[in-house]
Amino acid sequence: MEHASEFVTMASFAVGSVVRRCGRLAGGAARLSTSARALGGDGMPAIIERHGKREVIGYGYNGQPNYIDRVDYPIPAVRFKEETPQIKALREKEKGDWKNLTKEEVQELYRATFCRTFAEIQAPTGEWKLALGGTLIACSLAIWVYIWMKLFVYDKMPATITDPQRVEAQVQRMIDLRMNPVQGVASNWDYEKGQWKN
Amino acid sequence: MIRNAFSRALVAGRAGFLQLAPQSASVAGCRHMSKVAESDEQLTARYVQYFESKDIDHWWLSKHINDLAGTDAVPEPDIIKACLHACRRLNDIAMAVRFMEIVHFKCGNRVKEIYPYVLQEVGPTLKELGIPTPEELGMDKPQLALEDVYDM
Repeated sequence: MEHASEFVTMASFAVGSVVRRCGRLAGGAARLSTSARALGGDGMPAIIERHGKREVIGYGYNGQPNYIDRVDYPIPAVRFKEETPQIKALREKEKGDWKNLTKEEVQELYRATFCRTFAEIQAPTGEWKLALGGTLIACSLAIWVYIWMKLFVYDKMPATITDPQRVEAQVQRMIDLRMNPVQGVASNWDYEKGQWKN
Repeated sequence: MIRNAFSRALVAGRAGFLQLAPQSASVAGCRHMSKVAESDEQLTARYVQYFESKDIDHWWLSKHINDLAGTDAVPEPDIIKACLHACRRLNDIAMAVRFMEIVHFKCGNRVKEIYPYVLQEVGPTLKELGIPTPEELGMDKPQLALEDVYDM
C-alpha cells in the first residue's frame, strides 16, 4: 500500500538526507579513484570516491569516506565541506592561539567540519504529524470501504438474526437440547422453574 | 525403533546434563579470565593515555571520541581535558566544540546535574585554550535547518 511505503521512506529519510546531500554537493566532483587501494584485480576501480576534495579524518561508521550526522557516532569519516581558500585561511589562523578566533570564525570552522550541531540533529522534524495524519486517513478509508461493502456488496441480514420470534425459537431449541450445560446457554437456564437463572 | 530412539535420546540427554555442569563452570572461568572487568579509574586512565599520546592523529582522535560516544557513560573531566588538549595539538577547534557537545549529549536526562559539574571542572581548560562552549556559540538550540531532500 502506498502509505506503508511512505512510512518506510519517512523512517529512512533522516539517515538518507545528509548522505544524499553530501552526494549532491560532491556530485560534480565525483570521480573514480585510481589509487592502488581502490583498484580491483583487473584494474577496474572498485571504490567510487564521492568525497571530492574533502579531507578524510577518520574511519567513519562503516569504513567508507562518507559523511553522516549520528549522535552515537559523532565524528564522521570526512569533513563536511571541501577546502576553499577561505577555509584554508581560517585553518592557518586556527594554528595560532584560539583566543584570537571570533565566535563567527569558530562557527565557520565548525560548519566546515560538521553539517549539523547536536541540537539540530535532535531537533524535532514534525514528521509525526504526517505519520499520524496518514494513519488516520488510512483508517477512515477502511471505514468507508466497510460502509460501501455494507451498502452494495453484502445481502441483507438473514431472518434468523433479524426476526425476534425466530431468534427466540432458536434459543428455546438450544435450551431444550441442553446445549453447553457447563458454561453456555443451558447452564443459565433453570429447568425446574422453567426460567433463566438469576 | 521408537523405543530405541527414546532411550538413545535419554542417554544423550543424561550424558549432556552430567557433562554440562563442570564444563560450563570451566568455560565461565575462562571467559572471566580473558576479560577482566575494567574499573572506572582504569578506563579513565586508558583514555587519558590515548589522548595524551604524542603521535595521536585525526584518525585516532576521532576513533577515541567515537568510542567514548558509544559508551554508556559521561566522560570524566580528566578525559575531557586530555581530549581538548589533543584537539589543540591537532589544531582542530571544531572537534573540541563537537566533543563538548558530545559530553552534553552523554549527560542524558541528568544534564542539569552533571553538565554544570563538568563545566566547573573543565572550565579552566576551556578558558586556557580559548575554546567557547557550545552554549556560548548558540549551539544549544538549532540554528540552521536542513532541508529534506524530498522537499527539494
